[in-house]
Amino acid sequence: MIRYSTDSLNKTKVIQWLSTLIAMSRKELTIMTRYPVEFIASFGQVFLIIAVFTLASLMFTREGVRGAGEASTFISGLVVYGFVLFLFLSDTLWTIGYNIRREQKQGTLEQLYLSPASKTASLISRVAVTLVWTGLLSLTSGWLMSAMIGRLPFENVPLGLFVLIMVLSGTFGLGFAFAALTLRVREAGQTLANLAQFTFMIVCAPFFPFQALPGWIQTVSRRIPLSYGVDLFRSTLMGYPAGFPELAPVNIELMIVTAFGLLMPALGLWLYRQEEDRARRNGSLSEY
Amino acid sequence: MSAAIAHPTFRQKLSAALAETWLRLLFSSRYPGQLALEIIIPIVFAAMPMLLGRASGGAHAAANFQANTGTANYVAYLLIGSNVFMIVTSAFWHIAYWLRFEQETGTLEAIYLTPTSSLTLASGVAIYSTIRSLTSTLIAYLVGCLIFGVNPFQGDVLLALAFIFTGLIPLYGLAFLFGALVLKVKESNALVNLMQWLVSFLMGIFFPVTVLPPLVRALALLFPPTWMVNGVRSALLGVGFFFGAWYRDMAVLWAALLFAPPVSIWVFHRVEHGIRRHEGMGEF
Repeated sequence: MIRYSTDSLNKTKVIQWLSTLIAMSRKELTIMTRYPVEFIASFGQVFLIIAVFTLASLMFTREGVRGAGEASTFISGLVVYGFVLFLFLSDTLWTIGYNIRREQKQGTLEQLYLSPASKTASLISRVAVTLVWTGLLSLTSGWLMSAMIGRLPFENVPLGLFVLIMVLSGTFGLGFAFAALTLRVREAGQTLANLAQFTFMIVCAPFFPFQALPGWIQTVSRRIPLSYGVDLFRSTLMGYPAGFPELAPVNIELMIVTAFGLLMPALGLWLYRQEEDRARRNGSLSEY
Repeated sequence: MSAAIAHPTFRQKLSAALAETWLRLLFSSRYPGQLALEIIIPIVFAAMPMLLGRASGGAHAAANFQANTGTANYVAYLLIGSNVFMIVTSAFWHIAYWLRFEQETGTLEAIYLTPTSSLTLASGVAIYSTIRSLTSTLIAYLVGCLIFGVNPFQGDVLLALAFIFTGLIPLYGLAFLFGALVLKVKESNALVNLMQWLVSFLMGIFFPVTVLPPLVRALALLFPPTWMVNGVRSALLGVGFFFGAWYRDMAVLWAALLFAPPVSIWVFHRVEHGIRRHEGMGEF
């Protein structure tokens, strides 16, 4: 009888938590739709980024702009799949990580602690915006880039999808950890988010092969799980051309990426809870 | 009994503008990380097409680049592009963010109760922005050249600097126009993000504007930063001036210098006046 009650209680708790998560995700999506200028501007921005980098890469080819649309599938695969992961990482850092700062500035973060709603659900609900918004941007950019640079390679789709899910899961974990860091460093979080983005752009090589990097940076790349995510994701969808994946054999990279996808969200949430607890005890939750 | 409102003299206006400049510089000194990042960003930005180009072009990367742009020195070409882009984008960010920040904190409306005009203070922000962006981009260019092993002092350095300094005035004229748009639309983040990529595309950040379709090219040539970046590249790398000689290209920038500021100031005042008459400056 007692056991039945505990199960029932747990079930109710899970349902409540899920209901809170859905309500909070809906709130985040509603807020997103209130800024149509931002939504339209981000599509325009993606188009322009693609145009700038496409034209830049064509300057190094023999045909120049005359070769647009006919460049090798190698370049398009390399750039498009890297760009998609870059979009997700960038959006995660700002939407999940730095957004905590916005709530802090608005004074709504402290108020959340006066309600019985789950604080973890509040953090995870931000993933919804990233998935919808960045997902749409990624699809658009993939289509645009393949039209501008060349046909997009599309091999080993089920495995590619699995790798993408694991990389996204790990990236969201990084976002949670970054939210914890933002609570600690406050305004400097903006600079750190920029720095993290630029470090990713070089060290994780989303826009070029790892072999283009100097040896010492490649050594740093091998210490970062996300590098293996970038390498495995694009290598898999490109059908493993010669020399790919570049950092380790496929099975090793798959193990690293799976571990990253499974462990990083838990680690990120744990770090966030630790930092949140510290901020509450110090009374710095609403301080900025 | 009526009290006459004394209009500030030029000296007083200058003093107010410089006080704003000093205030902004003081604020920025509190965030050394941001300043360091401003040096890193253009280098990283130029490194990406460089690394992709080297990987895709292989041994022929420099030769292909020369055939397409007029110089084999792609390192300096891309670094010039990314650094001029930083100067341009900083002008837009600083003016737009100053207006938006003052609006959000409620201090913009208070400015209209003082005899100092908003444009005087915006000029102070423009001076601050120029000091900050020129310092950081100069360092970034030198460090970038050092990292990638090219000589930063090749070509006519003085002429390159002349193109930059001449281009700054029409550039800030455009930034004021953009400020007027931010006052009207009230969404600075999205607009600045879009604007900075539009600017980079039109000015030919990593490619010559001659590769653009005719209509887009014509639009790009109406944009002063396009003349600025091509002037610097031609002075340092000899890629070729649009009108064949430096003084003709410089004349175009001078025309923009004389035309852009009065037009932007007029537009800014119109927008400002309209907002003050209707919803008010404090609304955001």
